[in-house]
Amino acid sequence: MSTEMETAAIETVSIEVDGVALEAPKGAMIIEVTDKAGIEIPRFCYHPKLSIAANCRMCLVDVEKMPKPVPACATPVMDGMKVYTTSRRAIDAQHGVMEFLLINHPLDCPICDQGGECELQDQAMGYGRSVSRFVERKRVVKDKNVGPLIQTEMTRCIHCTRCVRFLDEIAGTNELGGVGRGDRLEISTCVENSIDSELSGNVIDLCPVGALTNKPFRFQARAWELMARPSIALHDGVGSHLYHHTRRGKVLRTVPRENNTLNETWLTDRDRWSPEGLCSDDRVLEPQVKKDGVWKTVSWDEAVETVVSILKEAGEDVGMLMSPSSANEELFLGQALMRGLGSGNIDHRLRQSDFSDDAMSPVVPQFEMPVAELDRVNAVLLVGCNPRHEAPIVGHRVRQAWRNGAAVAAYNPVDWDFHFDTGLDAICAPQDQVSSLAALAAAVAKLSGKEPPESVQGIVNEARPGEDQDTLARRLAEAENALVLFGQSAQAHGQAAMLRALSRFIASASSSAFNELAAGGNARGAWLSGAVPHRGPAGSAATAGKNAQQMLEQPLNAYVLWGIEPGFDIANPARAVQALRSAAKVVVVASHAASGLYEMGDVILPLAPQPESEGSMINVDGAVLSWAAAATPQGQARSGWKILRRLGGELGLDDFRQASLAELQSDMQVAVAQQPMEPSRVSLSVDSSAGGGLYRIGDVPIYAVDALCRRAEPLQKTVHAANDWLGLNAVDAERLGLNEGARASVSQGGESAEFEVRISERVPQGGAWLRSATCTTRKLGPAFGPIEVEVA
Amino acid sequence: MNAVSRYFKSLLLLELWQGLGVTLRYFFRPKFTINYPEEKTPKSPRFRGLHALRRYPNGEERCIACKLCEAVCPALAITIDSTQREDGTRRTTRYDIDLFKCIYCGFCEESCPVDSIVLTDVHEFHFEEREESVVNKAQLLALGDRYEEQIASNRRQDAAYR
Amino acid sequence: MAEIQNYTMNFGPQHPAAHGVLRLVLEMDGETVVRADPHIGLLHRATEKLAESKPFNHSIGYLDRLDYMSMMCNEHAYVRAIEQLLGIEPPPRAQYIRTMFDELTRFSNHLLWIAACGIDLGAMTVFLYCFREREMVMDMYEAVSGARMHAAYYRPGGVYRDLPESVPLYKETRWTKGKDLKRRNEWREGSLLDFIEAFARDVPSKIDEYETLLTDNRIWKQRTVGIGVVSPDKAVQMGYTGVMLRGSGVEWDLRKKQPYAMYDQVDFDVPVGVSGDCYDRYLCRVEELRQSAKIILQCVDWLKKNPGHVMLKNFKVIPPTREEMKDDMEAMIHHFKLFTEGYAVPEGETYAAVEAPKGEFGCYMVSDGANKPFRAHFRAPGFAHLSSMNELASGHMLADAVAIISTMDLVFGEVDR
Repeated sequence: MSTEMETAAIETVSIEVDGVALEAPKGAMIIEVTDKAGIEIPRFCYHPKLSIAANCRMCLVDVEKMPKPVPACATPVMDGMKVYTTSRRAIDAQHGVMEFLLINHPLDCPICDQGGECELQDQAMGYGRSVSRFVERKRVVKDKNVGPLIQTEMTRCIHCTRCVRFLDEIAGTNELGGVGRGDRLEISTCVENSIDSELSGNVIDLCPVGALTNKPFRFQARAWELMARPSIALHDGVGSHLYHHTRRGKVLRTVPRENNTLNETWLTDRDRWSPEGLCSDDRVLEPQVKKDGVWKTVSWDEAVETVVSILKEAGEDVGMLMSPSSANEELFLGQALMRGLGSGNIDHRLRQSDFSDDAMSPVVPQFEMPVAELDRVNAVLLVGCNPRHEAPIVGHRVRQAWRNGAAVAAYNPVDWDFHFDTGLDAICAPQDQVSSLAALAAAVAKLSGKEPPESVQGIVNEARPGEDQDTLARRLAEAENALVLFGQSAQAHGQAAMLRALSRFIASASSSAFNELAAGGNARGAWLSGAVPHRGPAGSAATAGKNAQQMLEQPLNAYVLWGIEPGFDIANPARAVQALRSAAKVVVVASHAASGLYEMGDVILPLAPQPESEGSMINVDGAVLSWAAAATPQGQARSGWKILRRLGGELGLDDFRQASLAELQSDMQVAVAQQPMEPSRVSLSVDSSAGGGLYRIGDVPIYAVDALCRRAEPLQKTVHAANDWLGLNAVDAERLGLNEGARASVSQGGESAEFEVRISERVPQGGAWLRSATCTTRKLGPAFGPIEVEVA
Repeated sequence: MNAVSRYFKSLLLLELWQGLGVTLRYFFRPKFTINYPEEKTPKSPRFRGLHALRRYPNGEERCIACKLCEAVCPALAITIDSTQREDGTRRTTRYDIDLFKCIYCGFCEESCPVDSIVLTDVHEFHFEEREESVVNKAQLLALGDRYEEQIASNRRQDAAYR
Repeated sequence: MAEIQNYTMNFGPQHPAAHGVLRLVLEMDGETVVRADPHIGLLHRATEKLAESKPFNHSIGYLDRLDYMSMMCNEHAYVRAIEQLLGIEPPPRAQYIRTMFDELTRFSNHLLWIAACGIDLGAMTVFLYCFREREMVMDMYEAVSGARMHAAYYRPGGVYRDLPESVPLYKETRWTKGKDLKRRNEWREGSLLDFIEAFARDVPSKIDEYETLLTDNRIWKQRTVGIGVVSPDKAVQMGYTGVMLRGSGVEWDLRKKQPYAMYDQVDFDVPVGVSGDCYDRYLCRVEELRQSAKIILQCVDWLKKNPGHVMLKNFKVIPPTREEMKDDMEAMIHHFKLFTEGYAVPEGETYAAVEAPKGEFGCYMVSDGANKPFRAHFRAPGFAHLSSMNELASGHMLADAVAIISTMDLVFGEVDR
């Protein structure tokens, strides 16, 4: 095998393009070779990341001894081949193809959003005729409504099928296809459907003409007016590279920035359209202080003074809950502020409810296999993980692995809709997840002969693996590259520590990589910066304090909420709201604030959201990715690190004297160079209190992960945003007397709400699929916990 | 001989009298000047003066917010914001021309694919406040309505050359 | 003993005889200029730098504003530089139009010069007469381009629009009617070419009038003869071009030496001075006016006989006509791209110069293959002339400094750029 590959790698042929001698690997297409050599060949349908269709015919080149011009994208190089890209024949062919393409193209340039960045325009200028000879009527194609994100204008389509191939090969949803033949060919969805892929926005970038354009951005600006500001996406841990396109300090649209180790040339819809939330109505624009129950807009000086007095008064009895999508600088200064006040109450793991393995956890969540290598794995085990929604780029990589032949198994609480097939799954309600995973662990232990660690030894030894588990264990062990992907539903699980320990054992015993896909955009940065209660920066010893759950269960005198909304961002919103309401003082630092924050807060400081501030993050691979502000902060909003530095300075704390971001970053360098504490062993116990009732599966919807996302109107109009319903297994529904579409009353943590029932085979028996972070569920109790359902 | 004639010419102020003769002749000729502003010199249909935005005969504004004029304006005098109007068409929400920045090169009119932005032959305009130099969309459309007849006839006269 | 110092004074920047915003620091020994130190830059607008930030065509309008007395000549140098880089040649009709309008521009410039120089040296009447003729040239400018001064008429590949078949007429008013109106419209009845022809046929008689007023006038001669004398060698050394050089007896004219446009097809003479003083420069300019009229008549003759395109039909560089743009996809795309992005000019560098009324106006241009110049430098004749101010004015009386500045024919739009 390997010797074959080596010989293939060195086998090159020499060809000549326009008189330039080139070496090319055997089997490569002409266009790949010329692209590498910087020789220009026009093209529409060819895209290096997609399959070759050769249907636009724009890349026709003249090859010696060939009777006709050949498409450069679909003609493999051969030894001694002589290619001419600018010969009479090639130019005639290009002129001819261009003329055909323009015959049916409408004269839309002035009203087309693609104008100015249109490949058809560029190539008509570069390779087309000057005047048209066509005087007959042009064809008209009816427009399709494909959802709130993509605007269609199908008359402009030139049938390159890049969008069809993208949705087929990359997004895996097959949502577009060609209908008809010849000049009646239309690209269309299947019967008026919308395009719902979480990567759908990429067809906008792929479309060489203005047939598919950005709907929210429609008619807003021209390409030449926009400044491309490089930035990083902070909605998942991948750290996708992107450009914010801004005009006069406002982000108007977002496009991908190529990075082959992370997002390649793609961008998820979440990253693309989240900045739409920047201009929502409830942006906090000025510092405000509640005086005698009335909110007053005040100056920064006065607001800071108020916050300082609150913090001084509270002393150690204060806790800070930070968004896991904050920048490193904010997280670092946030923990320094709390520890400076003598309190170790700082946490970013807001959706977590089991913290029992804190002491033995590694310095940062493990992510052993870099994103770039994910598509090369042979076997994948998903533990409580919906990669499509948690980190669509990871999902895409897993799909590529599956396309390359990898087998995927899901140990999930819900049979989520994946764009890859899974097998040997164990879809079971949360209360059964531990035992099902333990059974797999037992199978792995048996196969490898390795002893499970003490913490899980009991449960693994008790488990009786079945045939499926044995097969899966064998598959993981035998695979050259195997991966255990530990997802956010597992982390939010009531026994997350147990699940993590089991998964980690499975990974190590089957020599698989263990990748934990932590919630939030910058979880790794938060751990490393020390925004956890039990450790300081880089896992060093520091003032310990309460974790997110304890802070809310054992209420404190004062809280600082950093970029979060308690109803949406915390595992148990009901209890969070209760604790915050009972607190003496609550300082809210937020970019957006709905009524809830005004109700419980005492001071609100306007925080500049990520596109409007500067900073850095650490992605799952451990790469430090920094960005500069793309837009100007609206109103009085300030970057988080500036707010914290000022607060720390006014409080007279050390380590708050940085004059610039660079100085702060060098301070952080020193802090993370500290020696980490030795992880200690803890014993974990099995919680069997769940009983026989229903258990809620409260995963976070894809477009509800943070405040910015939740306010991005176009995203909230997609099908992924309609989540106020209760999913039940047919058996449970029948037992409860609920039919499809019936109203069910749900109660949890003393609060109750009504939902429409949907009966789905995707939900396991004993589970109630009721997602978190929606407008109705923000009143309820824990995302993963017992739930009572009855007919409303 | 030469010296003598020069001496007499000089003594008799001959060249000065010749010069005065020229001016005297003009004294009896009709005036070249006109009584501005009651009468004005004729203006070419190509004249590039104050801007205006035109409408179609049915009253619909011509401008489709393609922004070619904004792009081509060498002085960056034009600022356009565009959006989708309720009926789904592409329209401007803002069309400002800073007349202090404008160099009246006429490129905006050349670029306009729908003959919307035009330079009228109005050259007598003034501002009383500094900010009046920025004319907005409503003002430009009003100018277009007011001078439409003249604009259209000038365009018609020059159509063959454009 | 008290130290005696020469008196230093500022001549300008708001002096009416400084021809714009020249600040001339003069060191005076009594009434005699000991040292003249021109300070420039008060009208600096960074045209060259701005040109680097805009597509090629966008800067045409700014070239008008360099030497704002010879607008189309500046444009000519600029578009020629672009054409040379692109390797395109405008159609002959466009070349003839350019030749004709270059000469009309020379007319306009020299008329203004005679007028201004006259008024600097105390002759009021000639100023009014010159402006009367200049008004006609401005009408011609307006008729072709729509602007009386800043034409933006020359484009790479030709000129923007063909010459109109009609010239706007004076309308009847309370004061102008009947015979008066007829007289005013006498030249304007036909096409623009007829108008130009009538003007060019008539103008030598007008030039005779200016000469009657000035050439032999004793005051005029006293103010100019022997003032600011430059030897031919010195003139060459100081980088003089145009009349400043020819007034000193050096026969150098780009129209003859490096013919461009249609100058090799027309017959004209180049006047050369003898003594290199202000008076000779005046005589040269007056003779150039007569030669210009001669060239214009030849161009009119050719243009009347040879209708045709005034722009190349190459949509990769030149936008299509409006009619084509409105119902032709290819033309629409080219229109859109040319007006937003412009055209890319092949890599290279070039220098294109024209014999502007004031001397050699040149454009040095470097292209890196983009849609805007990598570097554009404009050689303004006035800059070299002004540099020799000290050389010329030292030893002269203060009043003669005015005559010297005046015959240099300075315009600060081009000196400061």
